[in-house]
Amino acid sequence: MAERQEVVVVVIKENMRRTVILLIVIFCAFGIAAAQEVDSTKVYKKKVLESTEVDLLMSLYNQDGVHSPVNGGIGTEKLVDGTPTIVISIPLNENDVLTIDAGISAYTSASSSNINPFMSVASLLKNANLFNTTGASRGGTTVVNPNPTTPAPPSKPYGTPWLASTGASHSDVNKAVHTDYSHSSDSRNLIWGTNVSYSKEFDYISYGFGGNVTALFNEKNTEVGLKGSAYLDTWKPIYPTELREYMDYGAANFQSSGYFKGVTILNQAGNASTAYMPSAFTPWDSKGRNSYTMSFFTSQILTQKLQMALFFDLVAQQGMLSTPYQRVYFADKPNFYIGYPAFIPVYTTPDNKAVYQLADDIERLPKSRYKFPVGARVNYYINETFVLRSYYRYYADNWGLRANTISFDLPVKLSQAFSVTPSYRFYAQNQISYFAPYETHLSTEQYYTSDYDLSKFTSNQYSIAVNYLDIFTGLKIGSMGLKNVNIKYSHYDRSDGLSANIFSFGLKFVGDK
Amino acid sequence: MKKKACLMILAMGLLASCVSVKEYKKIYLNDPDMKLSAHQNERFESNFQVYREGASGANGGKTGGGCGCN
Repeated sequence: MAERQEVVVVVIKENMRRTVILLIVIFCAFGIAAAQEVDSTKVYKKKVLESTEVDLLMSLYNQDGVHSPVNGGIGTEKLVDGTPTIVISIPLNENDVLTIDAGISAYTSASSSNINPFMSVASLLKNANLFNTTGASRGGTTVVNPNPTTPAPPSKPYGTPWLASTGASHSDVNKAVHTDYSHSSDSRNLIWGTNVSYSKEFDYISYGFGGNVTALFNEKNTEVGLKGSAYLDTWKPIYPTELREYMDYGAANFQSSGYFKGVTILNQAGNASTAYMPSAFTPWDSKGRNSYTMSFFTSQILTQKLQMALFFDLVAQQGMLSTPYQRVYFADKPNFYIGYPAFIPVYTTPDNKAVYQLADDIERLPKSRYKFPVGARVNYYINETFVLRSYYRYYADNWGLRANTISFDLPVKLSQAFSVTPSYRFYAQNQISYFAPYETHLSTEQYYTSDYDLSKFTSNQYSIAVNYLDIFTGLKIGSMGLKNVNIKYSHYDRSDGLSANIFSFGLKFVGDK
Repeated sequence: MKKKACLMILAMGLLASCVSVKEYKKIYLNDPDMKLSAHQNERFESNFQVYREGASGANGGKTGGGCGCN
């Protein structure tokens, strides 16, 4: 049986490899054809891009939820992210355009702060009001809080999945730059391009490159395109504090050295114990994550008011596809904690103010993943006031995930300059084969995660956007005229309790011709 | 799923052979809201969806890679 499964996997991999090679050959053929095309027309040509365009974009995102993967599937998921971005498109000549897209993403995350969840006595004193309650009752258990007038001794760190820690990992900045060059033929029926990208944050660095070719025919009623891209990424793995100590000092010494020196570890009954031993944990044997994508798309004008497009992607990912700081707790292993034993009975509720469970392991996922999303977009010009934009996607991958996405936008033109666009998006997925909630995985499993992003859920997103368009660019700043202002707000609700808000803002300036 | 995708592509090919709207009749199709790609600042939504959901791709944008996302 195992041999048969192995043969099937080999056959699937071989088919995938052949498909990717075939697509690359087709892609190269298009590219060579494009390169060899003779630009014979010497008459005046309209530029592909008449003048330099500058987009200033900004988004503010916040979320909260109760299933933090860093805490093994429970705890706060509070996150705030700001993303200022600039996109500059420069016409190099009549046919060529260079686009530079650069931005940063600065975030603070309660979830990732709990890579090291243990707070010092200084923050304990600062948060002393957390203890000034008379007690909590949950599930028939009355919790007696520590004496609020007597702070804990300095040697007693504490943490909780329900609050952000003061650790260094509570914030980070991602810096990214993407450069794209495209060339259009004289007839404008063939476009090819190439791109490179780079992004970096504290524990992740990415180099990307790719190319694309698009052909238009049937009087530009039909468009066919092929795009290939590769991302060569590298993790700098950051492990949860307790597992890092186990890794650094070894099983024999880690409880009497480094961070754990002088710290009392508690068992499920709240008594001191030295039995904690995360023997399932081993550090990663590699740090790379490579992603290869071949995207095929085609669009077709159906009537004077109706057009559609199809998108079909083949994505192969290899390497470390799990996240090194996401904890997993096994149901068949005893539990150990650091902090105040009074909170152990309410550990999985927000009433837990000061005890943190030590990890059994980090999430483990297969080192390869193949994704097969296919999507369709249909846009209909209803009349001079309304346009209907619709999108559907079906997604499948070899981790067992299946998902459906559908969305509708209804731009309403209030005047020549102003439009308002309400939007709705529905998304549904099942869980991957390797997901299980907090404290339900078994240590005998090969792969495991408690990341609810890979669990079964549905989500609803409601948006409203306001758009201002001035085709004459009346408002000037230097040599640039303001062409477009776009403001959008979206609210996102996931059926597992996560909710998010995103506010985005965009200005488009166009240079003088 | 491969069969469905092939059928959809074939259907597009057949449609291409029988429809042709002249350039001067594309006034409605050239409306900015009729663009078949996502709008510029939808990129931020796509970005957080790639992190918060297991599925990605087939929208002309991110497919995974380039970030520690799903």
